[in-house]
Order: sequence, then structure tokens, then C-alpha cells
Amino acid sequence: MTERPLRKFRLTGLVLLLLLAFLLDVSTGTVSIPMKDILKILFAPSTADPTSRFIVNAIRLPKACTALLAGCGLSVGGLQMQTLFRNPLADPSILGITAGASLGVAAVMLAGGSMATLFAIKELGVTGSWLIVVAACLGAGGIMLLVLALSRRLRDNVMMLIVGIMIGSLTLALISIWQYFSSPEEVKEFLLWNFGSLGGVTGLQLSILATVVVIGLAAAWMSSKMLDALLLGVDYARSMGLSPGRARTIIICSTSVLAGSITAFCGPIGFIGIAVPHIARFVFNTASHRILIPACCLIGTTLLLLCDSFAQFPGSQTVLPINIITSIIGAPLVIVLLLRQTTAHPW
Amino acid sequence: MTRYAFLCLVLLVACGRTDRKAVSPGTVSTVASPPKTQVEFARGFSISYFGDYKEVKIPNHAAGKTDTLDYLLLPAGTAVPPGHAHAQVIRIPVQSMIVMGSPHIAQADFAGVADRVTGVGNADYVYCPVVRDGLRTGRVRQVGIESSLNTELVISLHPGVVMTMTNPDATFEYATLTSAGIPVLPNADWLETTPLGKAEWVKLMAALTDREDLVNTKFDSVTTAYQRLAAIGSAAAVKPSVIIGLPFKGTWYTPAGGSYVAQLLHDAGATYHWSDTKGSGSLALGFETVAPEALKADFWLDVSDVSSRKDILSQDARYGAFPSFRSAAVYSYIRRVNDRGSSDYWESGAVNPQWVLADLIRILHPGALPADSLIYYKQIQ
Repeated sequence: MTERPLRKFRLTGLVLLLLLAFLLDVSTGTVSIPMKDILKILFAPSTADPTSRFIVNAIRLPKACTALLAGCGLSVGGLQMQTLFRNPLADPSILGITAGASLGVAAVMLAGGSMATLFAIKELGVTGSWLIVVAACLGAGGIMLLVLALSRRLRDNVMMLIVGIMIGSLTLALISIWQYFSSPEEVKEFLLWNFGSLGGVTGLQLSILATVVVIGLAAAWMSSKMLDALLLGVDYARSMGLSPGRARTIIICSTSVLAGSITAFCGPIGFIGIAVPHIARFVFNTASHRILIPACCLIGTTLLLLCDSFAQFPGSQTVLPINIITSIIGAPLVIVLLLRQTTAHPW
Repeated sequence: MTRYAFLCLVLLVACGRTDRKAVSPGTVSTVASPPKTQVEFARGFSISYFGDYKEVKIPNHAAGKTDTLDYLLLPAGTAVPPGHAHAQVIRIPVQSMIVMGSPHIAQADFAGVADRVTGVGNADYVYCPVVRDGLRTGRVRQVGIESSLNTELVISLHPGVVMTMTNPDATFEYATLTSAGIPVLPNADWLETTPLGKAEWVKLMAALTDREDLVNTKFDSVTTAYQRLAAIGSAAAVKPSVIIGLPFKGTWYTPAGGSYVAQLLHDAGATYHWSDTKGSGSLALGFETVAPEALKADFWLDVSDVSSRKDILSQDARYGAFPSFRSAAVYSYIRRVNDRGSSDYWESGAVNPQWVLADLIRILHPGALPADSLIYYKQIQ
């Protein structure tokens, strides 16, 4: 089989795998609902049991859709960062955007933890889960602007990477100060947020997340040619008539939007961003971003859906935080793939 | 919310506890002098009386250990009796104390010694007017808790005793204070499995302040009232089903079957789906696990500090599907809150379980008790 049909075959296989993972995620949970009931709820809802219908429609489907969005966004963000910095360890949080979102959340949960401040914020009409989302977006956006401003002054990508990591450390240090002075119950709440969760995003929030992620992915897709050129080095990109500075701005914006929005709605979800690009490169054996971007979406989503299915511990009434599962499943997978890899990395 | 989350946290820590049989409740029969108070319900401490001094034991059952924290309650000026080298000495009657938890303030108030509180863990949580006045005038100081405890401030206040919320099974981390001669006493009423057991920790406060007679009388009337109400509640013909609490980020903490909250619900004549589960802490369940019960429960209680049903919806629009939400059968303990939004339920409610129970019965069984307004609970409109 030549390279092109083989890729098509693999892509089709991944789409099927994704559909299976989606169905598995919707059919597993702490409450057991038989497959035929699931299908009934999906295709003939009026005849289904109302409790099962609520569980599938209001809990499992939004969660699976969130997994889909987060899986696509985080893995593509990771791919962009790995290419931009030509570093296999880069992930969407490398620029400090995720830490920025955490900073925003810490500001309302810990520093604003004095209830008077919270009352004042609630007066503005921003309450409940929106408060956290808005705070996280502001935090991520603020750090993104800072990174962009710095990136205009720094010409070198390696320096940019170091600056990103420094901003991340600085942000986490600020959060640590707040944590240190907060009461245990506030820290516990923040800790729970930090574990990440796909479960809390429904209705309007899900629509907003979907819109933002689609915009971020579209920007990534449009920058795929620049990414390809960047892999060959900044000088080569320049010789192709690309402006590396502009390319960098677009890539940083796209990744920030993806990582910031997903972190705002789901909390920090680790590992997908770093692991999936490696898996995609291994499966498709290419450096072309026109292939790697859709591949990352498919693999990232499938992996996150599988992780979410495993998070509902079979037979238990408890659901494990998604962040734990992504690392437990992701890390061995990447190690195995790297051990089997024969070709060299593009950097 | 934060308050409830903390309770969940501390209750979770309690989950792994083993049975507390090593130290039998009540007083030791070989004591030299007749006991001034009998511990009937609480299992987390014991008091023995010897002539002019008292001995308090707080059992510790962590991983195979059966040792206890020992305290000698000695009148001022008395020498330490032999054989008590490891015991911490508390001079009684205690004239000043630093307390970390809300129930401790309520216990002091119950014994009529709220004015002896000179330090609290977190001023935001205080409801008791006496202590709040003290905080305003500077007579009472905020000292912080656990990692943020201001040890130097505590030492400079020279308290007769420091009461912490620490689980006695956990490592004792107050060596700096004890080496400065300040006794530290874990007052872990939250580990008790019954509301009366939790309230009975007032007797420890009584022993510390030589107020056994007053506290015995008051606690007896609490017990009588509670048991009379429990007889009414548990005899109810119809037992409405309830769900407890608000989930956070997909995890729904709900009291385990062996917890004092589950006991309260039982005594109030409620049907609680998790009443048969083990453990005295809380269960961390997925939203999906609770959803089938939530979709048929008649009442939704303890939704923490939300003030309206709109607030609940703003946390998650899916809660609007619950019948209890639609019929506004949602109640929480927000009737008595201080200016920082902290509820007196956690304070005076800890030593007055009969009022909490009366509220629950009035909510769940309208007409079972003479009409009266609720004390702690409020309907969330």
C-alpha cells in the first residue's frame, strides 16, 4: 500500500475508533444502563425511561462532548508548541497560559476567598460556575497578552520558551502564596478544581467552549503551512517568504485561546497536550501539519474519551479525577511508542 | 460552600477510623471520688475523677495504635501526682482559652464561659455575640489554624488551653506550644456518630471550667428534648426522601450512613438512600450516582450558603430538573448567619441538636410539631 491510501486507511480507522470510544463513554457510568436503552435514548428518546434519559442526555453526552473539544484543543495546542519551540517536551501549558487561568481561579477562590469580596463580585451578577470561568479567562488572557508583548521583543524561540516557563513559575508562585494563607476548605476547593473535570460543562457553557475551540482549531489549521516551514528552521521559513514573527504571534494566539478556554471550563487537564502529538507522529510517520492536526484531534479525543470511561471506576460509585487517569494511561503509552519508534524525530 | 466543603474534608479524613472500643465511654469505676459527670453518648473522650483532680483521655486508634492523649486537670497550685509524666497538665478552672472550631465556641457559650475565649482560629466564622464583641474590642484575637497558626501570638496570649479540630489519630503537631507549657487538646466532636454524642463534648468544657452541675442539667434537657422529638420523627407514617448537599466539579459529597447527619435524618423521619453505607464521614459520589435519587427525592437539604434557587441554577442548570427544586422543597441552614455569611448552624447547632432536629421535622412533616418558625433552616426560594 502506498503512503497516501495507507494514511487514508489509518484516518478512517481512527474515526471508527473515535466513534466506538464515544459510544463506550456514553454507555459507561456508575449507573448501569444497557446498550439497547442507550440507543433508544439517542434515537427514540420519547420511549426511554426518564431517569436514564436524564443521565445520558444531561450528564454523559455533555461530558463526552466536552472530552471531544478538550481532546482536540489540547492536543493541537501541544502540537503547535512542540513545533514552534522544536521541543518534544512542550505542551499547551508551556507558555504559562494554564497557570494564568489557575491564577484567575485562585484570585476568586483563595485571595477573594474572604466572603465579602465574593459577595461584591456576586453583586455584579456573575455567580456560580460562571464566576470561575470568567476569572480563569481573565487570568489566561492577561498572561497571553504579557507573553505576546514579550514575544515582540524576543526574536529567538528558545528564549521565548524560557520566558514562557518563567512566567508560568512566577504565576504558580503567586498562587502558592495565596494557598499558603488560605483556609483548608478554600485550598480543598481549589485543589478539586486543579484536578480537572469534564463533568461541569453544559448548556450555554458548552456552546461557548465549542465556538472558542473551533476558532482556535481553525487558526491552527490555517497556520499549518507556517508550522511545516518552522520545523525546517526560522531561516528556511523566511526564505519561503513567511514572516516568522507573525507566524509566532498567530501560533501563540491560537494555542492560548485553546488552552485558556479549555482550562477555564474544565480546569487544567494534563498530559493530553504533550502525549498526543507524539502518538500522531508515530501513527502517521509524517511531519506535515495538514495531516498531524486532524490526527491529533482524532487521537486526542479518543484518548480523552477512553480516559473518561476509565475514570468511572467499574463497580464503584466514585468517579476519579480525569487528570489522574490521563497520566496513568498516557505515560505508559508514550513510553511504549517511543521504544518502538525507529525513525528520528523531526527536530 | 467553603464551610461545607471543609466539613466534608474533615469527615472524609474520619472515614478510615476503626472502632473506638478501647476506651469505654463513661468513667472508670475504680476512681477515688464519685464522677461529677457521666459521658453517655460521646465516644471520643473520657473523664475520670480522682480526689481533687480529673483525668481526660482522648483515644487514638491510628494504624494499630491504641494509645491515648492524656490530660491532667489540676486545680491551680496543686502538684502533679506521680505516674503522670506524659500527661499534659491543664490548670482548672480554665480562665482563658483559644479555640479553633465553631463548636468549641458553642461549647463555651453553653457552659456560660464564652467570655473566657481569648483567641479563635478564624474570626469570619464566629457567630456568638460575646466572642464577636471581644473580636471588635481586641479582647479576642484571631490566631489562624494549622499551617497558618500564629504560634508566637498564641504563646503571648498565655491561654489556659488551646482546643484544636485535629483528628486525634493524626500526628500531634503542636510540640512548640506544649513545650511552651500550653496544653493543646484535640476537640474532635465532628468524629462522633450521633448528634447527641457530638453535643456531649460540652461535658469536656464543663470539666475544664468546673461547671459540671450547670452543664449536666442543661445537657439533660437537650437529651430529653432530642429524644422526645426523635420519637415523633421516626414514628412518622410517611418518610419523605431527601438528598443532601451540592456537588462540586462533578463530585457530590453526601453523608455516609454512620455519620451524625445520617442519624439526624433518621431521627427526623426521612428516607435517606445512603443510610446503610459504612463510615462516619462522607461519601464522594459522582453526579450520575446521585442523579437517580435526586430525580425522585421529595426534599433537597443543606445546599450550603446559596441564597436563592437562581444561585443553584447558576452553578449547574441541570439541577432544575430535580422535582425538589421545581417544588421549592430546598432548604439550607442560612437563617442565622453573621455578616460574613457564616452560619450559626455550625456553632450553636453543634450543641443544640434538638433545635436542628425540630427544624428538620417541621420541614419534612408539616403539622407533626406545633407551628413555629424554623431556627437554623430557611427555604431557598
